[in-house]
Amino acid sequence: MHEFNNRINTQREVLKIVNSQSFKEDLFGLSKKSIERWANSNGILPDNDKCTLLFKIADKLFFLATKSQEQISNEYKSLSTDINQLISSLRVAFNS
Amino acid sequence: MHIYAFGSTCRGEIDINSDIDLLAIVDNFDDRFDPDIYSIYSYKRISEIWSEGNPFAWHLHTESKMIFAYNSTDYLKTLGLPSEYRNCKTDCIKFYNLFIDSYSSINKNHKSYIFDLSTMFLAIRNFATCYSLGIKNICNFSRNSALNLNGKSLNVSSDVYQSLLESRILSIRGKGTSVDRKFVENNQHEFEMIKNWMDNLLKEVKNA
Repeated sequence: MHEFNNRINTQREVLKIVNSQSFKEDLFGLSKKSIERWANSNGILPDNDKCTLLFKIADKLFFLATKSQEQISNEYKSLSTDINQLISSLRVAFNS
Repeated sequence: MHIYAFGSTCRGEIDINSDIDLLAIVDNFDDRFDPDIYSIYSYKRISEIWSEGNPFAWHLHTESKMIFAYNSTDYLKTLGLPSEYRNCKTDCIKFYNLFIDSYSSINKNHKSYIFDLSTMFLAIRNFATCYSLGIKNICNFSRNSALNLNGKSLNVSSDVYQSLLESRILSIRGKGTSVDRKFVENNQHEFEMIKNWMDNLLKEVKNA
């Protein structure tokens, strides 16, 4: 599958983790503005663990998109690993 | 450093949902540029997409407007025409698969339905742009590219199209209100029509 599609699937996976909890409003995307809207709508402070993790994942995905353009494979793999670890942390944060 | 405007503002397509698309071309990482506001490319990468004939290169070539040049030279103009676009089939398949994945996801559960509607819109728009450039040799970078393919335009209800567009804006910019979940259940027929439209155009792309 194309790397672009893989990044979309990763975003989807993150949203499904977040939206499996009952919040007043769902998380609609992983842009900075979407995360901020979600935090505001649900009364979650930006320095909350959940928000911090979401911003980190979003940043890593952005850099992943950049690195896919430059085809630097080692850095791409490293970023992919980082994202997977952050998603594992996200599951714990949203299940606790 | 060069800075350009591109996108709907340069086409004069202004509505309440418009933002200003900005491109920053820099040599190295530059933390003055917020990636949420700027599309940030290196000079090397711009040169590469020009050589690839990438649709984004054609988009910049035909529509961008320079805002700032450190050396008073319009860098993109110095590159001339981008190369012929040769990846139409690969790109159309990529966006077709994006639509199918999103459609499948939205029918499995509702946990990411706004995002799925958003990516369905992204897939439709980009598919149409790639088809238009690769098969018709027509530059069509409008947000509504799928509606501007003459006899091959997407024919779907305006309410469904508008809801897909609004979901895209909500997902990317955090603005607007979400459509009700029932929208998905109530419009399966329209989603099938969109899929059929893509199937037909993709056959043409594969046979080209």
